[in-house]
Amino acid sequence: MAHLTNNFSEWVNQQVDGDSPFAFSEALRSASLSKLATGVFPTRKDEEWKYTPLADLFDSKPGEETAGVLDTEFIRSLKQAMPSAHTIVFLNGEYSEEYSDSRAMLEDSGLSISRLPQLEGTALKLAEDTILKSTLTDDNIFQHIALGLSQNGLFIEVKKNVECQTPIHVIYISTARGVTAFTSPVNVIRVSSNSHLKVVEQYASLGEATVITVPASYVQLEDGAGLDYYKIGMENAKTNHICNTSVRVAGSGTFRSHQYLLGSNLTRSNLEVSFTGPGAEAVLRGVYLGDEKQHLDVRTYLDHAHPHCSSDQHFRGILNGHSRGVFNGLVLVREHAQKTDAQQSNKNLLLSRDARIDTKPQLEIFADDVKCTHGATVGELDSDALFYLQSRGIDQKDATLMLTRAFAAEVTQEIDIDSLRTYVQGKIAASLDEIVIPSV
Amino acid sequence: MLSIKNLQVSVEGKPILKGLNLEVNPGEIHAIMGPNGSGKSTLAHVLSGREGYSVDAGSAQYKGLDLLEMAPEIRAREGMFLAFQYPIEIPGVNNTSFLKKALNEIRKHRGEEELDAIDFLSLIKKQMKLVEMKEELLKRPVNQGFSGGEKKRNEILQMAVLNPTLAILDETDSGLDIDALRIVAGGVNKLRSPNNSFVVITHYQRLLDYIVPDFVHVLSNGQIIKSGTKELALELEERGYDWLLEEAESKA
Repeated sequence: MAHLTNNFSEWVNQQVDGDSPFAFSEALRSASLSKLATGVFPTRKDEEWKYTPLADLFDSKPGEETAGVLDTEFIRSLKQAMPSAHTIVFLNGEYSEEYSDSRAMLEDSGLSISRLPQLEGTALKLAEDTILKSTLTDDNIFQHIALGLSQNGLFIEVKKNVECQTPIHVIYISTARGVTAFTSPVNVIRVSSNSHLKVVEQYASLGEATVITVPASYVQLEDGAGLDYYKIGMENAKTNHICNTSVRVAGSGTFRSHQYLLGSNLTRSNLEVSFTGPGAEAVLRGVYLGDEKQHLDVRTYLDHAHPHCSSDQHFRGILNGHSRGVFNGLVLVREHAQKTDAQQSNKNLLLSRDARIDTKPQLEIFADDVKCTHGATVGELDSDALFYLQSRGIDQKDATLMLTRAFAAEVTQEIDIDSLRTYVQGKIAASLDEIVIPSV
Repeated sequence: MLSIKNLQVSVEGKPILKGLNLEVNPGEIHAIMGPNGSGKSTLAHVLSGREGYSVDAGSAQYKGLDLLEMAPEIRAREGMFLAFQYPIEIPGVNNTSFLKKALNEIRKHRGEEELDAIDFLSLIKKQMKLVEMKEELLKRPVNQGFSGGEKKRNEILQMAVLNPTLAILDETDSGLDIDALRIVAGGVNKLRSPNNSFVVITHYQRLLDYIVPDFVHVLSNGQIIKSGTKELALELEERGYDWLLEEAESKA
């Protein structure tokens, strides 16, 4: 494993050579391990990692962590987001029988949820097939870390023509103490023709240890299928989170994604969506809220390979302190993807002089009959709006808070699960309450 | 109520108000008229505390307090209200919750109990009838997607709910058709009381057909060059501003 000289890569190296526990697919695992054996970890010389420093992550060397105590009040507060969902909890990378909703793991009228290590037969084949067809590239080393070192994860499958009424809420909690903890859940979601599902993934950490989370998720939607896919990141400042999500949407399918990055030391979220048939739709939403020295990096890749598909992206960033945001969105419209409708918007609010955003919305169009727009803005709060609120008796701090919340609400209002919308808006409001101080 | 003495204000070094005097007593309606560029809007902005204006000399007292030293929100909490000439749209801030927050800030300042959602709603629904506003506008973000007339009515609705002691209407009539004008003026007239005062800034006389002022002042080149009663407004309507400007020049 040449070129790798940091603590983390040395650790990965040891895992490759060692004999880590079996995840689910020996074939995928060994393929990824061999990639890791020759793979090169990115540096900031790589264009794709230009803005995102991995030093904190590379300094860490995972070990056998000690699980800290899990406050039941904490887990109850996480469940508030989705009180009537099928809840599945992973505690320090392990499935938690105690906190998960046991009915969730049963096969239930067309919906089945299985833990990856227990997969076999057709289900295993389906999961493998979904991963093999993903758009994540071979040089995506973190994908291979996830697949090669994963010990757990879920396979969620919906059969044809099923309207899943109950959303699935997957919670990942780290309580690690002492040495660095590493988890890399792999999730595979397949929704068959004309079926619909909602999945919420939530990440939290409350231990004192450094945590490295490297999830990989693979989604496949068949003809006319729909998935609402929410990701809520609210880990503490010791957590580094690098995730890859690959989504394939067949004709007339609809993929809706919301990402709320509200915590962590460093988060890098890479979301790739490709259309594999005509008339498909993707709606991507997100808010990243950073303070102090947080680094939040959102990447999206939209592959329009078929005609009559639409994609609509709207991401907003609020950055305070010395935090740094990155938005990098690439929309590729291939030659045959006529009548493509692709919108992409990234708006950023900088609340301090030392906060920073690097935004790069990109369009590459090879078809000639398309409607595509993209744009990015970086700014401060509208002083006219501030004055308007003040002139009605609202002080500067409250007016600032109202406008900043409103800025995020332009995205969060589209969350169509009431409890989740309230929860996310509440979390954003609470964070803003702490960070917004009146300017003098 | 409001006492402005020799007020001199400049914007980026350029003098706009050049020694303005105005006395407003409780219960009075004062109209301030004048040609474009005479300083009407500057006066409204300075009184409400907007940034970007430099007060070079003079004073403005409101209820005996030094108005110019007060933050905009404190002026509002002390009972001042500015109806904006161009009410701005605030995406993402709900019209109702904004107004409830504003009212409760003012009530807190007065030492009154805050209104809960139910009491507030019944208050706002009552006041909406005053300005003939559609209820759905309450659910929208502040002024977003409102027509010009709806925005002005929303200003008057806010005024009705916040119930100020001194309201400054900055060209509230601009861009309004005659029906909207009548509704807006009707709102003001219903709020009129021996304790409340209004300063109505307008370019045209027609608003004063509906809101009858006790005094009319003509502002020109940063000074009040003539004061009179409502008849002065009618005279201005008939003869325009030029004769007054000439008169002022010959005096100078």
